[in-house]
Amino acid sequence: MLQVSTTWTHSSLLHSYDSHGGGRSLLEQGVRVSLAGAWLPEFENEKVTIRGQPDEDAVLCTLSSTYSMKFVGTSNSVFLIPPGDSSANGEKSSSVAASIITVATGNIELILAAPKLDKLKKLLKETPYNPDEDFDSISTHKKGLFRWQDLVEMIQASEEEIRAALKSLSAVEIDGYWRIVDDKTMNKTLTMILRNSLLHDWLISALDEETVLSTMVADGFSPRIVAHCLETHGTKVHDSKGTLWELGEKQVCLRLALDILASGKMKLKSFLERWEQSVPSGMKADLKMLQGEVLCDKIGVEEWIRVFSVSALPSTPADRFSALFQERLKWEWKDLEPYIRDIHVPGLSSEGLLMKYTRRIQPNAEAEPIFSAR
Amino acid sequence: MQIRVKCNCGEGECREWAIIEVQGTVESQPSIEEHLHDHEIGRLCCISEGNYTFTIGYHELSGTKMRLKKPFLVLRKKNVETVGDSNSSVELHVVGIIRHRILFKTRPKALISSKNIAFYMFDEIPHKTTATELVHISCRAAD
Repeated sequence: MLQVSTTWTHSSLLHSYDSHGGGRSLLEQGVRVSLAGAWLPEFENEKVTIRGQPDEDAVLCTLSSTYSMKFVGTSNSVFLIPPGDSSANGEKSSSVAASIITVATGNIELILAAPKLDKLKKLLKETPYNPDEDFDSISTHKKGLFRWQDLVEMIQASEEEIRAALKSLSAVEIDGYWRIVDDKTMNKTLTMILRNSLLHDWLISALDEETVLSTMVADGFSPRIVAHCLETHGTKVHDSKGTLWELGEKQVCLRLALDILASGKMKLKSFLERWEQSVPSGMKADLKMLQGEVLCDKIGVEEWIRVFSVSALPSTPADRFSALFQERLKWEWKDLEPYIRDIHVPGLSSEGLLMKYTRRIQPNAEAEPIFSAR
Repeated sequence: MQIRVKCNCGEGECREWAIIEVQGTVESQPSIEEHLHDHEIGRLCCISEGNYTFTIGYHELSGTKMRLKKPFLVLRKKNVETVGDSNSSVELHVVGIIRHRILFKTRPKALISSKNIAFYMFDEIPHKTTATELVHISCRAAD
């Protein structure tokens, strides 16, 4: 009996070829793989790869999707027969010989799965970019720095999923390496852009890229980081005069709020005061913008606010829920929802997700449901 | 690390392979254990659209051809020497696709019973069918 564990070691995959057939005179050995026919064309583009480190469960990735691979054994005898010689169909009565080249002991089943992206977050957070770093010494060690090619080798997700994750992490490619810019640098850069727009009467809904860059560089900022800051907090608008950037209200307000809360929890009232003061004119701060980023707790009569960011939580459902229930024993739906809306498990609806990982308590039909750990 | 899965079938369709699936195992007589190559295992006959019989020795199995819900790909492992790199990497090549299988899931029917030929059939499922008779068939042919 062939043992192929789903844990992928280099040899276990090969094993399914080698151990089968027992080295007898069977001509060749193969392994069956089941897959949905829909993405067959991707094989021709050589865009299908199996990814994983020796201690990880292997996954198969197309350009856009990730599939888990599971070896499913069978107790039946499955004879594999390659296409025969078509020249033998001359006479009707003559029998045609078909050769069995191997007996398959099972097949590898592919199941659409969620990409494993926590590792990407972890890797990039090891060495966040800051402009004062000694790049030469970091790059000679190459520790904590990853090129696109490194990420593709290490992350068990499709290329499209990795790109989307890099974008949602606000990662940027600097000198060929994908980096996360540290919060301090981003805060400083954005504050300076806002200050300059006050100083020079720029419209924050239409910042001229060239002007911003040249002014900021004169202030000692790196053009790459300024451009990244505009990209993260705004949207590009093309105009006849050049590239314009419109700063997004939500992104800017969120950044300013997190900056205020960076030193620790605050009384909600004083936080709101400071926040509203810091927000540039033309923008309006609203607590709704902070969903999934902060939590408010009532302690006595006072309400306190603190940072609790969804991006810092694990992305697998079981780990996510356990982290959430570690934070709070009971969750109201309106608080919980921002922390689970990014979880998508193929084949499981959000109701199914809640049923699987939470206990729902609703004293009466009108009351808000409360969720606790199972 | 990555293992690339390649298909060299080009624009055309992949070559279609077939599966014959039998419940239990087919065993060869110990004397031919070492010389399995080119031995006839049995005869497959299409008796009507989609229905087949598979005769192994004095056992006849009946089965049906069915479409696989998900097709299978047949892959072959290939060691690839990369230039300037001493360790060779592995690639998987698609050599065929399987869309149908002929499944024999019924208990075999004995065609003739003869005391001269020793074969074993076990009552429990999965049952065993010996291919001892093969030897006799090929011996007779040789005679």
